[in-house]
Amino acid sequence: MSGCFSDILWARIEGPARNWLAGAWPAADEAPAIVRFRAAFAGAARRLRDCQLQAEDIRALTAAGVIGAESWQIDNVARTALLLRALSALPAAGHAEFVRQVYLRGDYREQAAVLHSLSFLPQPEQYLELAIDACRTNVLDVFEAIACENAYPAAYFPTANFNQVVLKAIFMAVLVGRIADLASRVTPELKRMVMDFASERRAAGRTVPDDVDLIVNLETA
Amino acid sequence: MKMFDHHIHMTSRTTDDYQAMADAGIVAIIEPAFWVGQPRTHVGAFEDYFLSLVGWERFRSRQFGIHHFCTIGLNPKEVNNPDVAEGVMELLPIYLEKESCVGVGEIGFDDQTAAETRHFEAQMQLAMDFDLPVLIHTPHRDKKAGTARTIDLVKASGIEPGRVLIDHNNEETLPLTLDSGCWAGHSIYPNTKMDEDRMAALVQQYGTERITINSAADWGVSDPLKVPKTVAAMRKAGISEADIETVVWHNPVSFFGQSGRLDLGEHGERPRIDQSELWEGNSVLRGQEAVVEPAE
Repeated sequence: MSGCFSDILWARIEGPARNWLAGAWPAADEAPAIVRFRAAFAGAARRLRDCQLQAEDIRALTAAGVIGAESWQIDNVARTALLLRALSALPAAGHAEFVRQVYLRGDYREQAAVLHSLSFLPQPEQYLELAIDACRTNVLDVFEAIACENAYPAAYFPTANFNQVVLKAIFMAVLVGRIADLASRVTPELKRMVMDFASERRAAGRTVPDDVDLIVNLETA
Repeated sequence: MKMFDHHIHMTSRTTDDYQAMADAGIVAIIEPAFWVGQPRTHVGAFEDYFLSLVGWERFRSRQFGIHHFCTIGLNPKEVNNPDVAEGVMELLPIYLEKESCVGVGEIGFDDQTAAETRHFEAQMQLAMDFDLPVLIHTPHRDKKAGTARTIDLVKASGIEPGRVLIDHNNEETLPLTLDSGCWAGHSIYPNTKMDEDRMAALVQQYGTERITINSAADWGVSDPLKVPKTVAAMRKAGISEADIETVVWHNPVSFFGQSGRLDLGEHGERPRIDQSELWEGNSVLRGQEAVVEPAE
C-alpha cells in the first residue's frame, strides 16, 4: 500500500520537476538529514505544481484508503511519498521524532500534508500525541486536515480527545459529517457535551447549529 | 468615567488601538500571558514573550497614558506540549517576581486533559507561594462542565476563593462562579463569549458584586473598545453610574489590588505621557512630534 504514493508520483512528473525530485529523493540506504529533508518537503508544492493527478490516480488513492482523495493534489502525494521514503531508511525508534520535527517546523500546507499521511506511515499509533496536538490549532486548514476526511481520529483517539474534535468542529463551523467514522464513536458523554453547548447558545440568544441535532440523533456506538 | 480592561493581549494590537482606548477612558490594563496564535517550539520563545510583557509592551502602553500590568503563567493549550511545559514552569518564579506582575494567569482548562490538570494545580500552588491572585481561563468547548471542574480544583487547592477570578463567563456559568465565592469575569466579544446587551442584562439580574468585564482582545477578530461600549450599553439599560463604575473600575482594582503591586498612583489617575522617552533606545514614534505632558 505504501508504494502506491511513490508509484503515482513518479508516473506523473516529468521535465524539470522530475529532475528536481530525483535530486531531492531520499536515499534508500542512508538515514535522511533533517534539514535536507525539510527543504525537499517544503519545496514539493512549488516544484511539482505543473504536474496534475489523473482520474486513475484518485481511484488508486481511494483504493489505498485515502478518504476524500478527489481533493488531493500532487503535493499531498509527493509529501506522503517523501515521508514514507525517508522513514524507510530510518530506524523505527526515530520515526516519531522525525515526523514531529517535519510537522512542527512546516508551514500550514506542509502540516496538513503530514496529518493526511499519518494513517499511512508505519505504526500510525505512535503519532497520537502529534495528532491530538494538531487539533489545538486555530488554523482552519490544519484543523480540517486532521478532523475531516481523515481516518486517524476515529481509529486512534481516546474518547475524550475524539469528543474535543467533534466539539471544535461545531465551534469552527466545520460540518461534523466530514469527520470520518463519526457514527462509530458517538457516546452518551459526547451527546451530553453537544446538548450542553446547545443550551449555552440558547441562553445566549444565539442560533444552534444543525449539526447538534445530527449528533444527538445518531445512535450511540 | 475611568475604565480598567483587566484582560487584553496588547502584544497583538496596534498603537491606533492604544490611542482609541485612551481616548475612550481606559486608564489601566492587564495583559495576561497566553498563547500567541501558533504553538511555540522552544522554551526561549516564552522567555522573550514574558520579557516583552514586563518590558516593551509596558513602555508602549505608558506612551499613550495607560497603566500596563501583566499576569504570568503557562497557558492551558501549551501545557500539553512536553517540549516546553516543564521548562516554562521553571521560568515562572522569575517572572512572578516582576513588579508589574499582578497575578498568575491565564491558567485553567482547554481540552481538560491530565496535563492541564497537573499544571493548573501546580500554578495554583505558585499563586499561593507568591501571594498573588489568579486569573482563570474557562474552556470554549464543554464550557459548563469545564467551569464546574475549575471550581472543584480551586476549592481543592486551598486558595481563598476571593483571590480567584474565573473569566469568560456566560449566562450558564455565572451562577456557578458566583456561588463558589470566586470573582466572575466576562469577555465581551464581537461574536462569541458575551456581548454588550447580554452583559447589561446580567448586571441587572445579578448586581455588581465580584463581577467584572474585559475585552480579551487579541490577534483574532476582537475589539479593544468593548469595555467602553459595554459601559454605553449599561447606561442605555438604565444601570446607575455608581454600579457601572463598580464593574469597570472598582472591582478590577480591588481584585488585582490584592497583589499589593497594582500601582495606579495616588488617585488612580492615568500616567503622565512623555513620548520623548525611549525604551532601550527605541521610540514608538515614527517621525511624529512627541507628546510631552508637563510634570505636576
